[in-house]
Amino acid sequence: MRNLIAFLKRFRIFIVFAILQGVALSSYFTNLSFPRSQYLTTASSLSGKMMEINNDVTKHFNLAYNNRKLQYENIQLRRKLAQSNIKIDKGVIKINDTIFQQQYDYIPTTVLNSTVHKRNNYFTLNAGNSSGIYRGMGVISNNGVVGIIHTSSEHFSIVKTVLTENINIDVMVEKTGVYGLLKWSGKSPKIGTVSSISNDLSLKKWSEIVTRGGSGIFPKGIPVGKIKSIKTVEGKPLWDVEIYFSEKYAKLQNVYVIKNLLIKEQKEIEETIPNENE
Amino acid sequence: MINIVKHSIRFFAFIFVQAFIFNQLEIGLGIQIMVSPLFIFLLPIELNIFALMVVSFVFGISIDYFSNTYGLFASSALLIAYLRPFLFKFLEPRDGFLPGAELSIYQMGYGWFSTAFVLILLINNFWFFLIEQFKWKEVWYIFLKTLLSTPLSLGASILIQMAFFKNTSNK
Repeated sequence: MRNLIAFLKRFRIFIVFAILQGVALSSYFTNLSFPRSQYLTTASSLSGKMMEINNDVTKHFNLAYNNRKLQYENIQLRRKLAQSNIKIDKGVIKINDTIFQQQYDYIPTTVLNSTVHKRNNYFTLNAGNSSGIYRGMGVISNNGVVGIIHTSSEHFSIVKTVLTENINIDVMVEKTGVYGLLKWSGKSPKIGTVSSISNDLSLKKWSEIVTRGGSGIFPKGIPVGKIKSIKTVEGKPLWDVEIYFSEKYAKLQNVYVIKNLLIKEQKEIEETIPNENE
Repeated sequence: MINIVKHSIRFFAFIFVQAFIFNQLEIGLGIQIMVSPLFIFLLPIELNIFALMVVSFVFGISIDYFSNTYGLFASSALLIAYLRPFLFKFLEPRDGFLPGAELSIYQMGYGWFSTAFVLILLINNFWFFLIEQFKWKEVWYIFLKTLLSTPLSLGASILIQMAFFKNTSNK
């Protein structure tokens, strides 16, 4: 007993150090995989408010670029309006479209805080549960995929962006339908990688990569990027594909959160697949 | 008493500067300017090691709170707080530190400050990027980030002292 006390006395500095270090590291590593709390993040109310003030100052820096982007999108939408189209076939009258049912809804939000040069980058958005945003929803901008909601509080939410190590969004080559998983090597915010494409399939440089829409988080066909280079992985029958992202994440301000109205139905029916491990 | 007020103000000022200014600056190549070690470096030498560690931990976790790093800053701040007494013992001038001295550029001179602070920065940055990447495959990238971030952080820390600290040396 006395030895134990002597030991504790001798190493008490180190013990306090180790305990506090353990708290910090466990908080970091658990939050990477699964967010246990929102207290230590910018989704909490005080921190979120501060970020809002910060954003009020810095949002003007990229205003011109973002306005141009919104204007461009407006033009595209305007083209689809009835008034800018001429009716070619006078005989057909469309009433109450029952063929198409809306599957995806879009919630507009603004990016309050963003980083692009860390190993794992998170964006803070200015809308949360009160706007119908919950963990696991997809986030896109008008140029491409942004990420998946990681944590959400009443009025703020945090996006795990495609600029994190294991984002694992299922993507495919637009023309051929060859699919793989999106990852990020951490080198540059302009370049991502697509893994697990088998190397007996042929790929072309500059072909478009889009989302596959398999998990119901993103609709099919949201742009991701273009193929930059194709290399073989040593010792594995796989391609190592690098892509240029179609979105400039460093300047991003206006994004949309995707709400899949039929996700519950999809999850329910997918649960009926027999699990082979049992 | 004045010391407590001074360091409390610095506590909040450094959290603000690190979280809202330097963490928002993205220079590229993974460079991150760290000024938070300066706060820990400038805490009084006489401060008890336990108090030092607790203050540093709270300081670090506050920066994490504002920048979505979930404990990275707390971890590296705690590490340099733990190693600070060893480092100061190693770098102590021949006559010892003056009682109540503050280890700023004015009192210790540019040479001593730079040497000691670069060591602190190297430890801090290496630990920070190591935990952030956490892959042996990327160890060269971690070294590169550490080496590129250190001179910029040193420059920023010296500039902060030149701009905001009073020259209290009695030369």
